[in-house]
Amino acid sequence: MAGSGGDGIVSAGESLIAAAAMEGYHAMMTKSFGSQIRGGESSCRVRVSAQPVLNPNGTLHVAVAFNWEDFKKFGAELPVGPQTVVIYESSTGVAPDKLPLEGIKPAVVFSVPIEELAKKTAETDKAKNIVVLGLLAGWFGVGRQTMVAGIHKKFAKKGPKIVEGNERAFNAGVEYAETHPLKEGRKLAAPVGGGGTKLLTDGNDICAAAAIFAGCTFFGGYPITPSSEIMQFLDREIWKYGGTVLQAEDEIAGVGAALGASFAGKKSMTATSGPGMSLKTEILGLASISELPLVCVNVQRGGPSTGVPTKSEQSDLFQAAFSAHGDCLRPVLAPINVGDTFGITVEAFNIAEHYQTPVIVLSDQEISQRKETVVPIDTSAFQLVERRRPTEAELVDYSRFRFTESGISPVSHPGMPGGNYLASGIEHNEDGSPTAGGEMHAKMNEKRFRKFAPLKNRRDLFLLEGDADAPIGMVSWGSVAGVAMEALRLAQAEGLQVKLLVPKLLYPISEVIYQDFFASVKRGLFIEQSHQAQLYRLVQMFTSIPARVQPLAKSGSNPILPVEVLERLRSMVLSIQSNQPNQPAAELE
Amino acid sequence: MKIHTANDYKSDLKPIWCPGCGDYGVLTVLTRALASINRPPHEIAFISGIGCSSRIPGYTTAYGFNTVHGRALPIAQGIKLANPELLVLVASGDGDGFSIGGGHLAHVVRRNIDLTYIVMDNQIYGLTKGQLSPTSRQGLKTVSSNQGSLEEPVNPLLYMLAFGAGYVAQGTPIDMAGLAKIIEDGIRYPGFAFINVQSPCITYGEAESQMKAQKEKVESLEKMGHDPADRLRAMALAQEYGTKLYTGVFYRNPAPPPAHGERVAQRHAAYKASPPVKGDILKLFTPSV
Repeated sequence: MAGSGGDGIVSAGESLIAAAAMEGYHAMMTKSFGSQIRGGESSCRVRVSAQPVLNPNGTLHVAVAFNWEDFKKFGAELPVGPQTVVIYESSTGVAPDKLPLEGIKPAVVFSVPIEELAKKTAETDKAKNIVVLGLLAGWFGVGRQTMVAGIHKKFAKKGPKIVEGNERAFNAGVEYAETHPLKEGRKLAAPVGGGGTKLLTDGNDICAAAAIFAGCTFFGGYPITPSSEIMQFLDREIWKYGGTVLQAEDEIAGVGAALGASFAGKKSMTATSGPGMSLKTEILGLASISELPLVCVNVQRGGPSTGVPTKSEQSDLFQAAFSAHGDCLRPVLAPINVGDTFGITVEAFNIAEHYQTPVIVLSDQEISQRKETVVPIDTSAFQLVERRRPTEAELVDYSRFRFTESGISPVSHPGMPGGNYLASGIEHNEDGSPTAGGEMHAKMNEKRFRKFAPLKNRRDLFLLEGDADAPIGMVSWGSVAGVAMEALRLAQAEGLQVKLLVPKLLYPISEVIYQDFFASVKRGLFIEQSHQAQLYRLVQMFTSIPARVQPLAKSGSNPILPVEVLERLRSMVLSIQSNQPNQPAAELE
Repeated sequence: MKIHTANDYKSDLKPIWCPGCGDYGVLTVLTRALASINRPPHEIAFISGIGCSSRIPGYTTAYGFNTVHGRALPIAQGIKLANPELLVLVASGDGDGFSIGGGHLAHVVRRNIDLTYIVMDNQIYGLTKGQLSPTSRQGLKTVSSNQGSLEEPVNPLLYMLAFGAGYVAQGTPIDMAGLAKIIEDGIRYPGFAFINVQSPCITYGEAESQMKAQKEKVESLEKMGHDPADRLRAMALAQEYGTKLYTGVFYRNPAPPPAHGERVAQRHAAYKASPPVKGDILKLFTPSV
């Protein structure tokens, strides 16, 4: 759907996806606006399916244009194809056979008097979007069961006149669709897998909710697109749980306060995007050497600098892994979709607490801001980890950084009698006292690395999909993993034997897991939304990648589409058959 | 309850400071002030940044956090917000506090979180061996201002008063009793308290800043009859920073507003009767058209 700012495009999209969630469908919604803060053009894409929706992009099945000027401004974001059903406002005066779609002839075109129907039923053109919801319910089925009750709830505060007007507008849309039936039925099949009501949220909100669930009681941060909603959600909710939010004066103060809270014994978090992450780096180094738990979310956007701030990219992986001074290791986790962000965020807290370390959660703009249905999560299945505190016996002659077999030392916090110690950014002895001795520095470095050894064996932080014996393997992470999963389904539907490895633990690199995977394939492909193919390069740094495994990498703002991955998979099949090498990524050479 | 002595707050670590450094005096009076307040060391969190003065937490028995350059204040605020029961002290030098960390000053003041911020101001960078500091006078020749500084110094007292700090005082180690008094008073002040200590650098400081010179020009605000409730007069006196050496309390808000922590406590109290269940948080995502 696209139109101008006042058309209620996003509101209609939100109602549609909410109805889909209530009716048990799987759905995803993304929004896009012009560069104006207010007004201007506005669009949203909603993908609804009986099957899990893995990726929001692709050619539209249904396009709704409130007017064509605004619709056209979104260009490739709203691609119309021969199969698309086009619905548009008839008062635009555009003839159905003269749509401004450059050579594309859509299968079905409906010129609908949307505004006229709105005015006739609700006495206002504000109900245009409700008429459209009626059209969509009539032609495709979504919202048929829930929308009228929803309208009653949504407009209840505005009085019965408005409620009834909107109900009439919706029914007028449904009726219009029924009196102008599609030649081929396009009604969605009933949802599979029980079809119970889904949850509905976006990646930032569910990340914040997961933090509260994990026991986070402090957030320090600074507004930055596209991560601000994490702070905003926590500010609405965390106080209820005895927690505190500090909107700091800058990114450094935000992470500083969060680290302070962790030193004080509380689970804490900060969130940002790439530029803010740069500013936080020094304090993250302090967290590493003082061995304090801290979760730092980086919702990636296109960079460097302001870059492409409202679009998704996966180009902060190097930064997450390496933007530290000195030798230090920070675990990096990445969720693959909105629902997965819950578990990954809880996992980040668990790893931070267990290993007494900062943990980076690498989300991305796509996950963070798209609305998505989530199959209800059983929170009782999660175990929450608390940092190892000293026992009474350990508090006698307490040594904060005591060398242990695991490398993990019991950690006290202010307020705990007998646990008094000096935390510091300076290298220290086991008791926390400062030292400049090279021998102790080497031993402490060894301790701070050794403690992470078990993390690399966490196979549960890797997903393996598809046929385990398949000769073609993809590797993909973050939101792009959804694209790869859809490509996997498409390939399987064509009878291609393909599999997909999705690392959710991006760093440290689990050499064995990658080596096993590379050894099992004849051709492989890393699929990533960055110019450099950062995961491919990162893996290459720690273990060798055979030439038969190559990257498919693209800068942000240009979504990778499942069909282009599919094309590449087909060509890989051919290259095996013809014994030709896998095609290297030209732009990297 | 145990009665603590100054010695209970002194750790076994030997300071790395040069013999004759003003910071020794600060350490001594601080432990005295803490003894009068008599909070057990484990209930005290002492935070610092980087610089000679920032080594001070390690020389006490409190929980210490010697952090990174310029960021002691934000870290200390997180500690106090996470556990309001703690007594939180912050130590900095003039470079740490007014230069690299200067951006935090206005915000720590306007938030009015109950911390005591002690800056050991020596008008020079000592740890990095004698470069120009933000409080160095114009014309000062240092290794980084070989032909003399072209810049005017900042005025930390005036800054803090202008930002709205409820407690602003200055002391020097030449008057240990007076310094102990303002540190204790600052800790007892229910809100953010700022104490500037003219703590000379014996190695890189100018002759005019040394204790000997200080003795000749020091003037007690109390003896001058300054009323610490008079904020405008305090600002007029603070203008003399860099030329005169006033010690004592410039300003103490006679009617302190609720500190940040009190407002937080009120907010939390509203939810205490029926706290939500954490596992129910996902119910917020129940869809509704």
